[in-house]
Amino acid sequence: MIVAENLVKDFRVHERGPGLLGSLGTLFSREHRLVRAVSGVSFEIPAGTKVAYIGANGAGKSTTVKMLTGIMTPTSGRALVAGLEPYRERRRNAANIGVVFGQRSQLWWDLPVPDSFRILRGIHDIPDAVYRRNMALYRDLLDLDALGNTPVRQLSLGQRMRAEVAASLVHDPKVVFLDEPTVGLDLVLKEAVRELVNRVNAELGTTVLLTSHDMGDIRAICDGVLVVDRGEVVHSGSVHELLRTADTRAVLFEHEGDPAAPTEAIALIEARLDGASATVVDGGRIRVEYPTGRWTSRQVMGLLLEHFDVTDCVAPEPDLESVLRRIYTGGRRPAPRPEAVG
Amino acid sequence: MTRAGTVPARLRRYAPFTAASLQGLLQYRATFLINALTAATAVGVQVFLWRAVYAGRSGGMPGGYDLPHLTTYVLLAQVLGLMQANRVDEEVSGEVQRGDIAVSLLRPVSYPLARFAAGLPVSLTNATLVAVPVVVLYALLLPLSVPSPQGALLFGCSAALSLVIGFGVNLLVGLAGFVTTNIWGVRIVKDSVVAFFAGQVVPLALMPGPLAAVAQALPFQGMVDGPLRLLLGRYHGPLEAASILGVQLAWAAALSALAALAWRGAVRRVEVLGG
Repeated sequence: MIVAENLVKDFRVHERGPGLLGSLGTLFSREHRLVRAVSGVSFEIPAGTKVAYIGANGAGKSTTVKMLTGIMTPTSGRALVAGLEPYRERRRNAANIGVVFGQRSQLWWDLPVPDSFRILRGIHDIPDAVYRRNMALYRDLLDLDALGNTPVRQLSLGQRMRAEVAASLVHDPKVVFLDEPTVGLDLVLKEAVRELVNRVNAELGTTVLLTSHDMGDIRAICDGVLVVDRGEVVHSGSVHELLRTADTRAVLFEHEGDPAAPTEAIALIEARLDGASATVVDGGRIRVEYPTGRWTSRQVMGLLLEHFDVTDCVAPEPDLESVLRRIYTGGRRPAPRPEAVG
Repeated sequence: MTRAGTVPARLRRYAPFTAASLQGLLQYRATFLINALTAATAVGVQVFLWRAVYAGRSGGMPGGYDLPHLTTYVLLAQVLGLMQANRVDEEVSGEVQRGDIAVSLLRPVSYPLARFAAGLPVSLTNATLVAVPVVVLYALLLPLSVPSPQGALLFGCSAALSLVIGFGVNLLVGLAGFVTTNIWGVRIVKDSVVAFFAGQVVPLALMPGPLAAVAQALPFQGMVDGPLRLLLGRYHGPLEAASILGVQLAWAAALSALAALAWRGAVRRVEVLGG
């Protein structure tokens, strides 16, 4: 459904010296510098999948999304969304896609939310049955009626965001691009938005590309992940596969014994497991973190069972955030695999 | 979802922009009052200035206008000015500056046409809610010349074309927002240059020869001077009347084509502003 082939985007940036002199200088000379925001991104997202497109700030995510939505033309390479090159056939592509840009509103600022939907219905020429079905769903899940007749400019961010997500889906697009769709929402509404996206995907086969810093969104919505760093795709696969690239794992346990003196336990663990670290966390549990390359879970568990009278034990999934942080900060990079995800 | 469809079906997609714009306008009712006061004052200042000129003249009529004619001209020039204040320049450059143009690019419609559809109600509400009371007010206060039915009809056609010219000019100015970030100065210059060369301040017939020639060669004369010449019957024979309309039509087409071209160029520049 979405194909990117060696997408490259360069920006021309005006050079300017610091301070007043630098500003004055721009009156006389205009020197440009090329900045490569996206350097050869390739991926393929099959129809009906939900993929998270994630990366640190400045990694080239939003530039890529702008090329896929037809707002920007790539410097080189090619993109196809539902069989169209978005930047060549912007208007036809616009009929196929829905977009939520976290900070920009697609609603009519001076009008109440229901009016924006009526306008979108006209612009997209949405058939009555589709419109009614969708509005009923949004009313049900997002409680859109609660927004009443307040003009959009007077809504809170959370109130507006619900309407934005619904507005991006109202014309049954084949692909929906969601950029920070739950920003400003409380937990209940976050859940509702995630459920809406998942339901639309399940019922209509809508392809979802999500860019978000909210790990909860990614885990609740997406089945595939594309990680971009410095303009390149550095990981593509399922969320689970990404988590498996974690180079440290952790085990938390509680044991019978003197809870007032955990230092001995910690010393013992750190002496036996080279490279591991143990800390006392809330509730008196001991958290053991160990490098996956050095120790297997079996070895770690074996050691704990041998030396402690374990009463409780948890091995949490590796934390997506720390996996990403390691990728962003340039730790070990998983080999790029430019193939289908999901 | 498809692009197919007859022309009316495709045009129907622009109706919501008109409706939305009208609805938005009606939320700011005070604007109409302010516009009415501004227009009424501007007409008043000019009319009384001209009355002083006529009172002190030693014979002959400036440019062949008698006082009721000139009063009508000045009054309706303001009306046309109000109708061409369609805010398209302001809205487009604003969208470009804020970056909201990105969202507009995500709609499956032609942006210039959508802007035209959204600009129409601004012109029309100004014409009805602002201009009509001002005209009625001055009609009660001062002697005006009553146009012939034929003049009124020609004026109607001409005023419609003047709307398209005014839209083209404003869209081009708005698109300048892609080139220069601060469009405010450009708009101020545009407002006074257009008002002057359109004949909103002084009828072109009263301008010195070379200046009038320059004004005639520019598209702006079709915004005020052309329609009012037709209304007041200041032409010789149907051929000249037709040529006034023809020139307007040509400018309307040329400016629309130019705006479409500028828009294409502008879309390619969106990236500079980071969308």
